[in-house]
Amino acid sequence: MKTGVYWCRCGGIVSDRLDVAAVAQQLGPDAAYFKEVELACSDEGRSFIAQDITSERPDRVVVAACSPREHEGTFRAAAAAAGLNPFLVQLVNVREHVAWVTPDREEATTKALHLVRAASRRVAAQVPLERRMLDVSTDVMVVGAGPAGLRAALTLAEAGRKVVLVERDAIVGGMPLRYEDVFPRMECGPCLLEPLIGELFHGAHAERIEVLLLSEVIGLKGSLGRFTASIRLQPRHVSVSACIGCGECIPVCPVQYPNSFNYGQGERKAIDLVYIGGQPNAPHVDAVRCLRLSGGSDCHACRDACQVEGAIDLDEVERVEERTVGAIVLAVGGALFDVGRLAGLGHGTVPGVVSSLEAERMVASDGPTQGAVPSLPDRPPDVAIVHCVGSLDDRYRPYCSGVCCMSAFKLNRLIAHRAPGATFTHYTRSLAVAGKHEWDLYRQAREDPNTGFVGYGTVDELAVDTSASGRPAVTFRGATHEHDLVVLMGATVPSPGAGDLARILDVPVDRHGFFEEAHGTVDATRSKLRGVYLAGVCAGPMDIGRSMTQGAAAAGAALSALVPGRQLEIEPVRAQVDPARCSGCRSCIGVCPYQAIGWVDPVAEVNPTLCVGCGTCVATCPSGAMTGLNFTDEQIFAEISGILS
Amino acid sequence: MSGTGGRQVVDQSVASAFTPRIVAFLCNWCSYAGSDKAGASQLVQPSSVVSIRLMCTGRMDPQFVVKAFDEGADGVLILGCHPGDCHYKEQNYRMIQRHRLFVRLLEAQSIEAERCRLEFVSASEGEKFARVVAETVEIIRKLGPRMAA
Repeated sequence: MKTGVYWCRCGGIVSDRLDVAAVAQQLGPDAAYFKEVELACSDEGRSFIAQDITSERPDRVVVAACSPREHEGTFRAAAAAAGLNPFLVQLVNVREHVAWVTPDREEATTKALHLVRAASRRVAAQVPLERRMLDVSTDVMVVGAGPAGLRAALTLAEAGRKVVLVERDAIVGGMPLRYEDVFPRMECGPCLLEPLIGELFHGAHAERIEVLLLSEVIGLKGSLGRFTASIRLQPRHVSVSACIGCGECIPVCPVQYPNSFNYGQGERKAIDLVYIGGQPNAPHVDAVRCLRLSGGSDCHACRDACQVEGAIDLDEVERVEERTVGAIVLAVGGALFDVGRLAGLGHGTVPGVVSSLEAERMVASDGPTQGAVPSLPDRPPDVAIVHCVGSLDDRYRPYCSGVCCMSAFKLNRLIAHRAPGATFTHYTRSLAVAGKHEWDLYRQAREDPNTGFVGYGTVDELAVDTSASGRPAVTFRGATHEHDLVVLMGATVPSPGAGDLARILDVPVDRHGFFEEAHGTVDATRSKLRGVYLAGVCAGPMDIGRSMTQGAAAAGAALSALVPGRQLEIEPVRAQVDPARCSGCRSCIGVCPYQAIGWVDPVAEVNPTLCVGCGTCVATCPSGAMTGLNFTDEQIFAEISGILS
Repeated sequence: MSGTGGRQVVDQSVASAFTPRIVAFLCNWCSYAGSDKAGASQLVQPSSVVSIRLMCTGRMDPQFVVKAFDEGADGVLILGCHPGDCHYKEQNYRMIQRHRLFVRLLEAQSIEAERCRLEFVSASEGEKFARVVAETVEIIRKLGPRMAA
């Protein structure tokens, strides 16, 4: 074994502080040759090393210079340029670890000798490693067609990618469809979405986006570059392409029940539009409520009323389809905390107490009351708005959602505009109005003579009951005040389906049930599963603007991870199973934080695309069947011996 | 369980002259970066602590500790990311669990628990790195040479 050592003088910084000749001499057989380079990382230094490797033809190379965090890649590249496998190079940190911290010349010399000898023995045990390349799919699946998912899908399609957009609902758009106005600039929610939805169905890149509605992901295999998703498509029973959206089928339907789009306010039919103006503009049949589909009745009133032959198909069945994609953007949104859990606040028991989402539909001009808020005859409404319901409370949700205060001031403004003279009482605990536009809306409420603020400490101090006159009444510190409407601003919580989806995809969730970011600060776009990106409220409470921005960010991350014509490079520093030694105990599978180890009966198998090379499974394996490439037991043992001999 | 089984009563003059040999295992992302920061800040450190870089303390195998003591180390220092900061999610928690096992293994061989020290050094804690290195040398110096046992 011929091991060559290149010693970087670092312009004298390293070499002046210790006895380089003594290191070279005492290395003995651990160095076949020892050459000093004035500044190894410079152009001249690197080309000298590359040329010298070409002429000396060493089996292994040690470079004694600075931190591998700074220049490991530099010298690996120099070796590769000279035809030496880059993993046969070991860098020794004689600058940060020796010269700069060891004033005693003799001590510095000894420590440098130990380090270089350890590297020489370690590199002798190193083996060539190759970067493997994999062909990938660059298509992307986006789950959820709300603001974040729409923005992600459109960004990807604009870049030329094929997108599969999977949406559970029968229309696209998500929550903003329900909002008459959105804060902070009081813009109409559906209007904000209109250009995006137009682009989705009719834009220049629409043909690249496959929209699957009434659909859910029910299975996932594979990894970054090659996921195979199983998607269950519920039958709509109405052909989106044939239906002309005339609505003739709706009034003839005999089944009527509370409208879930309006949170139980108003009614809908078993065949109905989710929302008038929703896209695609075609009704769908609710199979649970339809007499024919749920009860075996022979009703076909809708089909008889239909003006278009074949637009309604009551025999359509559920199907499961597969799609192969390279990456996944999760944008499934969130939900509102069940404000009924705080029984003292009267939701569900006291008439006139509504959740913030019920209030959104109530104040919407296309909502169940066409925007009317309850009030006494000929009197403007008196509205109480209770902030922080279920928030900042360890019994429910310990965090601040950061959006409810702004929603509260928006509702205040909307109602005040609709019903001049309306009075408001905000029961507040903490206020969150950060942002460059947000303050104005809050200040308007503050300066409005018809709006008052009452600070409370814990939600237990508030009680909402029905007064003798039948109105909801809030009691706080012994004083009772009657209102016409009490709005409970609930916390933002994970979508009810998020837990199941997390299990299906094997994507971790945080302690609150939101999908967990790879790192909340520096890597919030990626989930903890490689190739799965996060956008919007499914990763944590946020407003519409930030959800859209995250949709674009997630699309960008997916675009840069997978580029058409470029193969995926598999990092060679990773774990590897020796199937002959694997006892099948599966200990490694349990400790892997990246779901990178699978089970191929009767042994474990490492997915090289997912493994990041941390080595935990290697230290865990009781049979010595797991190897940490470039950090093998043998290599570390050699390094220990080199230091101590 | 106290690790006094193999402790020698060392003559103070011998102890003060004694330079312990200590092998440090550093995770790449926090502690190695912290050691670089100590270096770039030119914080003087005892030269008897020599570092080995691992990608993560999760890779830290009990055999590495055994090997270091077999080869004549007087002490082992394991430095990882602070709990909650692991680059690989939570592998430093596994290191914390394993460390409890390491010291029991060592005590069974009459090697004092204090000779295998686990600490946490972040990428910004150059000063802490230098301090931990110096402290560890003092701890091992007080215990005396391992081979004397």
